[in-house]
Amino acid sequence: MSTTARIEPFGETIQLEPDESVLSGILRNKKFVRYGCKHGGCGTCRARLIEGECTLDDRTSFSLSDSDRAENVVLLCSAYVDEGDEAVFDVSKLQDLTEDEFHAGLQIAEYEAEVERITAHTHDIRTLRFRLDEADEMPFEAGQYVEVEVPGGDDEWRAYSMSNPPHEKGVIEITVKVISGGRFSSRIDREICEGCRLRLRGPLGQFAVRLSHRPMIMVAGGSGMGPIRAMVHDLVAKDNERPVVFFYGARTDKDLFLVEEFRAIEAQHRWFEFVPVLSEAERCERWTGETGLVTEAVARRFDGFRGYEGYLCGPPAMIDAAIDLLCGRGCKSRHVFFDRFVPSG
Amino acid sequence: MPATLEQVHEKGKGYDWGFDYAVPDPKYPTRYIVPPKGKDPFRVLVRDYMRMEAEKDDRVFGGLDSNTRYKNADVAEPRWIEALKWAVPAFTDAEYQAIKGAGFMIASVKNQELRQGFAGQMMDEVRHTQLETQLRRFYLKNYYDPAGFDIGQKALGNHPTGTLARASFQPFNTGDPVEVSMCLNVVLETAYTNPLVVALPQVAMANGDQALPTTFLSIQSDESRHMANGYGMLMCVVQEPDNIPFLQEALERHFWHQHMSMDTLVGVVSEYNAHNRPWVYRDVWEEWVVDDFIGSYMNRLAPFGLKPPRHLNDVARYVDDMHHSAALALAAIWPLNFWRTDMMTDRDFDWFEKAYPGWYARYGGLWEAFRGMTDPADGQIPMQALPSLPPFCQVCHVPCVMPRIDQPETVIFEHEGKRFATCSKHCKWIFDLNPKIYSGCCNWWEPWHGMNLADVIEQLGYVRPDGKTLMGQPHLNSERMWTLDDIRKLNYEIKDPLRPDAS
Repeated sequence: MSTTARIEPFGETIQLEPDESVLSGILRNKKFVRYGCKHGGCGTCRARLIEGECTLDDRTSFSLSDSDRAENVVLLCSAYVDEGDEAVFDVSKLQDLTEDEFHAGLQIAEYEAEVERITAHTHDIRTLRFRLDEADEMPFEAGQYVEVEVPGGDDEWRAYSMSNPPHEKGVIEITVKVISGGRFSSRIDREICEGCRLRLRGPLGQFAVRLSHRPMIMVAGGSGMGPIRAMVHDLVAKDNERPVVFFYGARTDKDLFLVEEFRAIEAQHRWFEFVPVLSEAERCERWTGETGLVTEAVARRFDGFRGYEGYLCGPPAMIDAAIDLLCGRGCKSRHVFFDRFVPSG
Repeated sequence: MPATLEQVHEKGKGYDWGFDYAVPDPKYPTRYIVPPKGKDPFRVLVRDYMRMEAEKDDRVFGGLDSNTRYKNADVAEPRWIEALKWAVPAFTDAEYQAIKGAGFMIASVKNQELRQGFAGQMMDEVRHTQLETQLRRFYLKNYYDPAGFDIGQKALGNHPTGTLARASFQPFNTGDPVEVSMCLNVVLETAYTNPLVVALPQVAMANGDQALPTTFLSIQSDESRHMANGYGMLMCVVQEPDNIPFLQEALERHFWHQHMSMDTLVGVVSEYNAHNRPWVYRDVWEEWVVDDFIGSYMNRLAPFGLKPPRHLNDVARYVDDMHHSAALALAAIWPLNFWRTDMMTDRDFDWFEKAYPGWYARYGGLWEAFRGMTDPADGQIPMQALPSLPPFCQVCHVPCVMPRIDQPETVIFEHEGKRFATCSKHCKWIFDLNPKIYSGCCNWWEPWHGMNLADVIEQLGYVRPDGKTLMGQPHLNSERMWTLDDIRKLNYEIKDPLRPDAS
C-alpha cells in the first residue's frame, strides 16, 4: 500500500517512503516548499493538514502553539503519514509560494562529495574537482556558486563559483585563490586533499548568462576566471553564436592559467576571443599581449558598448571600474551582470 | 466548517463535460500529446471573476465620461489621434480573433483545467472588444475630425494594414490548438502585449490622450492571466519530449511573424504618430521582448529543450529599421489611407537622429521630399516618385521595404504558376511550411491593377461625407484638403508590382 501526501493548492501527490517526512518526500520528488532547519525548530515549513491524519515529531513542541495545533497547522519537516494512508496538506495560506516555485523544485540542497582531483594552476590558484555521491546531481546554471563546509569548522562555510559547465553531471569544480592563513584555502593540499570528503550546499546566486541576441564582454581577474570558464564552456555546449570577448586580467605571465584551453576554444569557434591582459608585463620576458589594467585593455578595444552585455567577475575594484567603463560608453546598466569576489580564505 | 475557495474550486472542476452526447469535431486536429491533467492558471471561480471584471468595466466607462467632459479628444495631439483611426480597429480585430481563439481552445483541448482558463480568457476578450469599440466611438463623437473613425472596422478591412492585422491575428484561432496557444498566449500576449498595451498608453499620455490609457490599462490587467494560460499549456505539453520539435517550429514561426507585424505597428504608432516621445521603441523592445520574454520566460523553458528563436539576431537587426521604412511606405501611399498623415518636421528629425544614429542619412531625405508634396495646388504625390509600388509580404503583409527601404530583403518567387513576394527569407520559410495557408490571398494591389487611383479611393470608401474630399491627407491642415478631383488630375494608374510584365 502506498503512503501519500497531496500538496495543495498545487494538486501534487507525493509518494512517501517508509518513515519519510513529508518535507523530505517533497524535496526528493524535486518539488519545493520553503523550509529552514529541517528539524522542527524554525517553523518555516508550516502547512495546514486539511484531510487525513499525520503524526508530528516531538521536536515541534515549541515551534507550534496550541492554537496552531487547533487549526491543524503542521511542520512538514516533522510530519509523518501513517503507512498506507493519504493526507492532504495545504501550503497556500502559510507559505508565500507560487506554482512555478513549487514545481521548479529544490534549488538549494546539501551534498556529500569527494575531492577527486586538485589541480595547481599557479602558485596560488587551485581547482578542486568534487565527485558528488552516486545518484546525487546538483542542477545549476553556469555562473552560480556553492558553499563548501570548512573541515572541522563549527558550521563554517566558504562560497566558490562553479568553474565547470552544468552538463558535467555529478561533478562540481571550484577554482580557489589560496590565501595565506585562510581557514579553507590555506588547507588545500594538506587536510583538504584528493580523496577527502566535504559537504557542499547550493546552487546559489543569480550570476548567469542571459538569453538574448546581444554580444558579450566578459571580464575576470584572479579566481574570477572560474564562473566565466563555466559560462564559456556552457555556451560552447549550447552551440552559441553570440560574439564573446573574454578579457582576463593577471599581474604577470606566471599568474595566467588555462590559456591553452581558451586558445583552443578560440580556434574552434569564431564567436569567441580570449584576451589575457598583464598589469605587470614589465616583469615578463616575452610578453607581447595586452598590458595595463584589464579595464584599460577593454577600453582600448571598444569605442562603445551600446547593445552589449557585460559579465564581470573578480575583485570589487575591477568590477567597479568595468561597470563605469561599460555603462559610461552606452551599455545599459541592466545588461551588466557581475559577481564580486571578496577574499575570505 | 465552510468550504475554502480552493475546495469549491476543486469541486467545480469535478463537473467536467465530455463529448459522449456528440461527436467531437475539433476544427483542426492537434499533432501534440496533451496530457489530461494541467493547471488552471486563473484559479478563480467564474462568478467571482465576472464580478471583478464588471467593476473594471465600470471604471473604464467612468473614465471615458470624464474624458468627454474635459474635451480630452480635442486636447490631444491630432498627429496621435489620426493613428488611432487604424490602430484601434486593428486592436479590436485582434480581440475578436482572440474570442474565437479562446472558444476554439475550449472545444479542442481535453483538459478541464486549461479549459477553465480559456473560459475566463474568452470572457475577457469579449470585454476587450466591447471596450475598444466604445473607445473608437469616443473618438468618433469627440474628436474634431472624425472621418475614418466612422467606418473604422470596415475601412481597416479594405486597407493593407487590415490585411496585416488579419494575417497576424487569424492564427489566434486557426491551426493546431497548441500552436494557436503558442501564437496567441505565448508570443503575442507574453512577448508583445507589454509594448502594445503598457508602453503605448505612455505615448498616449505624453501626447495628451487619456482615453486610450484608461481603456488599455484595464485590458492589460487581464493579459497576465492570458500569459498564464499559455504558460499552463506549454508546461503541460513540454513534458512530452516528442512535442518539443513541433513547439520549437511553432515558436520560430509565430515569433517571426508577430515580430514583423507588432514591431511595425507599435514602432510606427509610437514614434511617427507622436509629437512627444517618452521612449525609443528599440529600447522598449529590448526590455520587454528580449529581457523579459527571451531572457526570463524562455529561460524557464530551456530545461525542457525549448530554445529561444534562432533568428533573434535578425529580429534585432530588423527592429532597428523596419518601422522607419513602414512609416515611409504608409506616408507614400497617403491617398489610400483613411487617416491624415503628418509629415516629419525638423524637430522630429533631431529626435530620430539622436535615438537612431544614422537615421537622417537613411530616411531624412525621403521625408523632406514627401513634405514638399503636401499641397494639392502643386499636384504631386509620393506614389508618382516611386520606381514601382512595393508588393506586400504574402505571409505577414508588411510592405516589402524591410528592413531598410533602400536595402529591402524581399524574396520574389513563383508558386503554382503565380508570383508572390515575402518581406524576408524568414517569411519565405514560413510560406514554405504550408503554402496552402498563404497562397490563397491575393496581393493587395492585384484587384486594383490598371485602375485610376481616384477610382480606387472611391471604391475603398475613403471619401468624406461631402463625396469628394479624401479621408487621407498628407497634412493636418483642414484648409488645404485634397479631393478626388485633385487625384484624378494626376492620371495615376495602379500597377501591380507582381504581375509577370512588371519589372
